[in-house]
Amino acid sequence: MRNTNRIKKTDFHPLLRIFVYVMVAIFTVLALYPLYWLFISSLKTNTEFQLNITGWPWNPTFQNYPTAWRLAQFDTLFVNSIFFTTLSTLLVILFSMMAGFAFAKIRSKATPFLHGSFVIGILLTLQSIMVPLFLMAVATDLYNTRLGVLIPYVGMGMPMGIYLCTEFIKSIPDSVVESARIDGASYLRIFASIVAPMAKPVGVTLAILNVSGVWNEFMLVNILVSSDALRTLPVGILKFSGPLASDHGRQFAALTIGLVPMVIFYLFFRKQITEGVSAGAVKG
Amino acid sequence: MKRFLAWWTEERRAYLLLVLPGVLVYWAVMAFPTVFSLGLSLTNYNGGVIFGNPNIQFVGLKHYLRMFEDRYFWISLKNNGLIMAISVFGQIPLGFLFAYVIHRKLIKFGDFFQTIIYLPCVISTIVVGRLWQSFFSPYGPFTKFMQRFQPGWENELAYDPQRAIIPVLFVILWMYTGTYMIIFLANLQKIDPSLIEAARIDGATEWQVLTKIILPALSGVIVTACILAISGSLKSFDLVYAMTGGNPARRTSVLALYMYDTAFRHSPNYPLANSISVFMVLVSFALIVLVRVTEARFGGREE
Repeated sequence: MRNTNRIKKTDFHPLLRIFVYVMVAIFTVLALYPLYWLFISSLKTNTEFQLNITGWPWNPTFQNYPTAWRLAQFDTLFVNSIFFTTLSTLLVILFSMMAGFAFAKIRSKATPFLHGSFVIGILLTLQSIMVPLFLMAVATDLYNTRLGVLIPYVGMGMPMGIYLCTEFIKSIPDSVVESARIDGASYLRIFASIVAPMAKPVGVTLAILNVSGVWNEFMLVNILVSSDALRTLPVGILKFSGPLASDHGRQFAALTIGLVPMVIFYLFFRKQITEGVSAGAVKG
Repeated sequence: MKRFLAWWTEERRAYLLLVLPGVLVYWAVMAFPTVFSLGLSLTNYNGGVIFGNPNIQFVGLKHYLRMFEDRYFWISLKNNGLIMAISVFGQIPLGFLFAYVIHRKLIKFGDFFQTIIYLPCVISTIVVGRLWQSFFSPYGPFTKFMQRFQPGWENELAYDPQRAIIPVLFVILWMYTGTYMIIFLANLQKIDPSLIEAARIDGATEWQVLTKIILPALSGVIVTACILAISGSLKSFDLVYAMTGGNPARRTSVLALYMYDTAFRHSPNYPLANSISVFMVLVSFALIVLVRVTEARFGGREE
């Protein structure tokens, strides 16, 4: 299979080959060098950072890390990020599978309208609703609360979730549902013990999309939360290492701390992530 | 009552129960605010009690007219246009090139390059923004690199209103090219390899394979990628916010940042901010329709 794809080398002009290699090499260097520079800079003291911009640190020291961790309150940031990411992902998967099952397998006149409203939502963005969301949060006393951040996260994950789940559950043969019906199973029972387990692959895709989306999300928390205790990683990191920060070593240590979890997540779930991304890139 | 009970079957109850949580949450935080935003943009509401407030008046398109007179609106719109251009004419062709050479195994270590090129996409935009801001700053490696070729070169990128957007565009290209590569790769894998093989045996060149088989097969995906790029570039906020904050003198602002500044900085102006957001939604719908119409007219075959 793989070998059939290989082409005769003579066909591919050498100059073109060189051009392609150069482009790929440039992108590789550009992807890795800044990360390398970020890391070595985080091992330098402030004085050294200004004198030794690109070189290996003279006296590599990790002491920027504990300080940055303490000052930026990374404990709180991590707890909050994990809380919002996990809970919103679980709820998005559950709600999407439930509704996706109903849209795909239970006949109803309401489906085209309801399902359509979600499909339009794929095109809506946080930007287009940020002011009303803020006003609503203030009006309902959900400003500065966990619930006030969690609900929008779940809502924002729904359009993609519904779309993927409905498509997936449609591909499960009707006979599976029908024979369970004949055996006397209720729809809820069918959902819980047949459809949900079968829809596991789409659940994984959805989890990947939602985790990377919410973990890195910045603006929603930035608008709906002002208390230190509820900040998530991106918001806390920007506050600590934002434009006013002059303490470069610690700033870079904080950025490194913020970067590492996602990079590890990516290296572990590389295949699932790339599959999820291409599944998420639905026809608009 | 009898008729209601007959209607109220187990099937209907189950449907309602299954659909309700998702619909409620989604409508509350996405569908309603979108309509709400449109409504607010036509009134003079600017904070305070919403319901039963006698001071709220319908003012028509007043805020939209004001928006069109604001020079920062046009600066932001222009920057969104630049981001859109770099997405459609930079990320998509590059992403396609990478996907193509990796899929057809025209280069070695395709898997490794794929992993690395996609890497920037998974990092938090805030971290990326701060990192590259330092990278391009007078004390960063970029300055040092330039000085190697031009001793005494002064880094004024951050203060030059004309050129300050360039680093932002560069980072956008850097960050999202991988996404398009992944999308194209996934769809290249759907093309039947025996089709290409047969063409090759019949003597087709690589160029003919590309233009006669692969590009037609991917036309639908290319349209999807364009739509993603367009709606994505209208969304850009985090990166600009973290990198430049819209400065110097708001010259690197984008529509979303312009709206944010209007709503949350200095004295808030919610109606104007809502007008901006409605405008953004309309532009994004209009552009997507435009892409679809273009596709239908000059249309490649759907896969």
